[in-house]
Order: sequence, then structure tokens, then C-alpha cells
Amino acid sequence: METGSIVVPRRVVPFARPEQAPAVSNARLAMIVLIAGESMLFAGLIGAYLVFRLAARNWPPPDLPRLPLGLTAVNSVMLLASIIPLSRALRAARRYDRRRLARSVGQTALLGGAFLFVQGIEWVRLVRHGLTLASGTYGATFYVLIGCHGVHVLAAVTWLAVTALLARRGAFTAGRQAPLEMCAIYWYFVCGLWLVLFPLVYLS
Amino acid sequence: MTISTRRPLRLVPVFAIGTLLGAAADALAQSCAMCGSGLSDDPLGRAISWSILFLMAAPYTIVGTVALSLVWIHRRAAGRRRAASIDLARLQPAAAGEPSGGGLS
Repeated sequence: METGSIVVPRRVVPFARPEQAPAVSNARLAMIVLIAGESMLFAGLIGAYLVFRLAARNWPPPDLPRLPLGLTAVNSVMLLASIIPLSRALRAARRYDRRRLARSVGQTALLGGAFLFVQGIEWVRLVRHGLTLASGTYGATFYVLIGCHGVHVLAAVTWLAVTALLARRGAFTAGRQAPLEMCAIYWYFVCGLWLVLFPLVYLS
Repeated sequence: MTISTRRPLRLVPVFAIGTLLGAAADALAQSCAMCGSGLSDDPLGRAISWSILFLMAAPYTIVGTVALSLVWIHRRAAGRRRAASIDLARLQPAAAGEPSGGGLS
């Protein structure tokens, strides 16, 4: 009896034509749901902040240091400026310009990292001047709200750094740019969130 | 002369938003009857009322924004699809009239 190999027909998955592709991809839908959840988290934190802020007769309390407005304003400009290289990166991805894409995403990550660094310096100075997590509702709400945003920036910067490395290796070819777009959407969310938090905490 | 019947319906969201904004005026910033009667006089009560109002508005705002953006994306995609089909319809008669150049019979 002769033995032979069984030929298994290869299943060919056809590409989805543009008119058949869904208007909102699964990745984008997942990112929208994630951002909605994150927004609710921050809405809860802002709600708690509003209770303490509006109920207090003196805000900030007279014995605690004021928040450094000038430094944080410059830091905010740096964070918002990071949107420019990210937009450039998305344009480079559409043109399949690998070098420019990696460089622009790297610049965005650097600006985000610089924002975190300056915020870290600011926090160290505030702690040295006596504003800690335990110094009343003022310190607690400040560190929880701004710290929560900082954790999100840290996550986004890590994501950007990984994306820059992948872009350098040429991972984002035609039709495989969803991770880059998701990273960009998340960074836009983090920057937009700061536009709400900065006036609320520092200017009010 | 055609009379548009859709125009009055477009004003409904405007009236709804206006009513909601009016209800959230300073004097009416009491998120519920209990909060209004029990807490409205002192600063803490007012702070809690404003916070509850904010937290009530947050999910509607977020879900509304997501829903509107999804509707917008779908409409844009439908428009693109329509534009592509119109282009194809324009190209087809021209392509049909062209010689099949290079084909072997």
C-alpha cells in the first residue's frame, strides 16, 4: 500500500474591498470604548474635586504652598506642542515615509517624557514645601487628579516609544497602521484631558 | 413650492439643550429633591449639588459624543461609498467603448 501526503487546500482570505469594509474598525471602536471609560473615571475624580473645591472657604488653604502656575503653563504648552509631530507622523504614515514617521513619533514621546520630567520636578518641590498627599483635601485631590493624569501620560509615552521603535523597523506598512492610529488617538485624549484639568486645578 | 417638514424637528435638540441649560441655572442647581431640601443652604450642600449635577451630565455627554461621532463616521463613509459608485458609473461607459488593446483573440 502506497502512502502519500494529503494535500490540504489552502484557504485564501480575500481582502475586504473598500466599499465592504466597516466604517468604524474594531480597533477604533475598542479605543472609543476605552476612552469613554477613562473619561468616566476622570469625571468621577473631577466630581470629587468639585465637592472639596466648592465647599472650601479658602482654596488653597493659607498654610499650604501655591501651585507653580508659570512652570506648569510652559509645561502645558510643551504637552500640547507634542500634537504637531504626531500629526506629522500620521501624514508620514499615509505617505509610507518610514524615517519621518519614526522620527516624528519619537519627538512626540520625547515631549511627553519632558512633560512628565517637569511635572516630577514640580511635585518634588511641592512635597519639600509641605504639600503632600496627607495635607488635607487640597493635597489629596491635587495629587490624585494630576497623578492619575500623569499615570496616563506615562502609559501613553511608553506606547509612543514602542510605536516609534516599531515604525523604525517598518512595522506600519499599508493596511497595518491601526496600532499607530490608536496610539495617536490615545495621545490626543491625554492632551485634551489636560486642557480640562489645567484650568480646573491651576487656574480656578 | 415645497415645504420642508424636517425643519421643525431640527429645532427639538436646540430646545432640549436650552431647557437643560435653563434648569441648571444657579438658583435651580439642586440635583434632587432631597439634596435641594437638606443641603442647599451651606457651601458643602451646594458643592455636593453641583458635583452631582456634573456627574449626572457626564455619562450623557460622553455617550452622546460617542454616538454623534459614530453617526458622523458612518455618514461620511456612506458619502464616500456613494461618490465611489458614481465615479465607477461614469468610468464604465468610457471603458466599454475603449479597444481592448494588447488582448489576444
